[in-house]
Amino acid sequence: MSKIISVHSFRGGTGKSNTAANLAVSLAQMGLRVCVVDTDIQSPGIHVMFQLNPKDIDFSLNDFLWGKCEIEQTAREVFTEGSKGKVFLIPSSMRTGDIARVLKFGYDIQLLREGFMNIISRLAIDVLLIDTHPGLNEETLMSIALSDVLLIILRPDSQDYQGTAVTVEVARQIEVPQMYLLMNKVPDLFDKAETIEKAQAAFTCPVIGILPHSDEMMMLASNGIFVRQYPDHPVTREIAMVAQKIME
Amino acid sequence: MRLLRIHLSKGTRTLILIIAAALVYGVLNVYSNRLLLPSAPFIALRPQVALPFFLGFVFGPWVGFLTGFLGNMIGDGLCGYGCWNFWNWHIANGIYGLLPGLACYFGLKEIRTLRRFVIMEIIVVGTNVIAVGFAVLADLFWLKMMQFPESLNAWILPALITNIVLSFVLVPLLLVFGKFIVITVETRITLALSWLMVSIVVISATAVTWTVWSDLASQEASVRAFYSAGIVTVLVVIIGFIISVFLAHRITDPLVSLGQAARQIEEGEYRLPVLDTLDKRSDEFGQLATVMRSMASQIETRETRLKNQVAELKIEIDRTKQDEDVREIVESDYFKTLRQKARGFRATPRIDKEEEIEDVTPKDDESSSI
Repeated sequence: MSKIISVHSFRGGTGKSNTAANLAVSLAQMGLRVCVVDTDIQSPGIHVMFQLNPKDIDFSLNDFLWGKCEIEQTAREVFTEGSKGKVFLIPSSMRTGDIARVLKFGYDIQLLREGFMNIISRLAIDVLLIDTHPGLNEETLMSIALSDVLLIILRPDSQDYQGTAVTVEVARQIEVPQMYLLMNKVPDLFDKAETIEKAQAAFTCPVIGILPHSDEMMMLASNGIFVRQYPDHPVTREIAMVAQKIME
Repeated sequence: MRLLRIHLSKGTRTLILIIAAALVYGVLNVYSNRLLLPSAPFIALRPQVALPFFLGFVFGPWVGFLTGFLGNMIGDGLCGYGCWNFWNWHIANGIYGLLPGLACYFGLKEIRTLRRFVIMEIIVVGTNVIAVGFAVLADLFWLKMMQFPESLNAWILPALITNIVLSFVLVPLLLVFGKFIVITVETRITLALSWLMVSIVVISATAVTWTVWSDLASQEASVRAFYSAGIVTVLVVIIGFIISVFLAHRITDPLVSLGQAARQIEEGEYRLPVLDTLDKRSDEFGQLATVMRSMASQIETRETRLKNQVAELKIEIDRTKQDEDVREIVESDYFKTLRQKARGFRATPRIDKEEEIEDVTPKDDESSSI
């Protein structure tokens, strides 16, 4: 059974796209076929992580939503692990005109769902990973509505708490079957078990993992996939653990 | 040297070492016999006595014993005393290497602390007493060459005193070169203090000896008094050593405590009971201990404060505002429609993977043909 997972955060700068990209590679390393969809049409970015040049993008998610192409024409293979594990990427258009058009007219959930369903069956995808736009606009709600799992990224920062609490409640109202919190950029001096306990109590939502603050990750920024470059790093191990748990 | 090491077995190398060391020992015995002690016709100043001790500590009991035993035999032979006449002294010289060797065998390795340094010196002095004691007893019971009360001044005391003092000074030096004594702050201070003190005593005693010995030789009573003074010298050396060990301990003990304290801070333990007596000292160590303690308590305060901040941050959710925000979204028409659609989607089974694709494809073909 395939899984659709939305990776979301209420605010920007939480490391959402970065985490989504790393999680995708980690899942592929488990031998799964993963497709990452960049639905952050207003400010796309995940292609940078996979070193995909905007000039090389023939068709984007925008083109599919406007009926210019089939969904599988938009997918680019960006990572292979062994004989089975693969990551495909469906990018968003980087052209400002395209972005403005989506902002003005939006798109239809029925069409988006069709696209997801087709890509899952045609490329035999195990996990469809949606990189959403921060906040709770209509497109994001759409992605959450179509997901089996919602993964909410937050930092241990008071700015993130209020919005995360709202997101959890809204997602509950939209009846998303599974929901997890993933805390990112957690400084070492915080006690892990205590942080998990406090977050679960405050948000009434299970915490799937704690990603420690990592200087190496800051250095790498978006110029590559962390779990590939630092295979033995604690952050990598934690992401692999999240990948395992999310597939259970 | 390197070639030899590669080609020879361990046993052969040990044998070569014993023969070479015994030859050196024997030849040195011949030459040092010219440095006869005042009024002691058979006992000479023999710095080489340190050799079997050293070899015993470093290479074990057999090498030590055989070097002393064979070396003394070779020396006696070369001097014309006969190879076997004084066999008790061969064994006594063997004991010089045997006992340190046994100490090494039973675990005295790598002297890097004050404690081990003291044990080493006790072994050196003890071995001297046991070895000379053995030679004397063997003479009394088997050889019967000396008349006892007279021999005390003629043989026993001269041999014992010179050997104790020489081995006390020279064995640690050789052990430093042989890397058996590892230079740490503790061993360095102990070595410096004890060597300084012992060498002052020995040099002044030697100077006095050489100045007066021609006058002494003729007067039996003065000779006796002179060797009693020799015993005092040994006692001074030993007492001086004890004092220098005590001083070294006063210097190095704080370092050990400070090291332990630093390790405890590393492990997140900030009470530091190891510094309890140290921070009452008025010297630099006392100041360092005080600073370390206050540093630890500041780290602790900072750590607790940071931990508490996390706890505070976690509970800052405005529930009223949360409810308002949620209500604003979920009560919109868009949201209600979306929820309905989502329910519908979840109720429809999803088509997955290749095997199911094959079921789908013909249908597509049919529909396109119609």
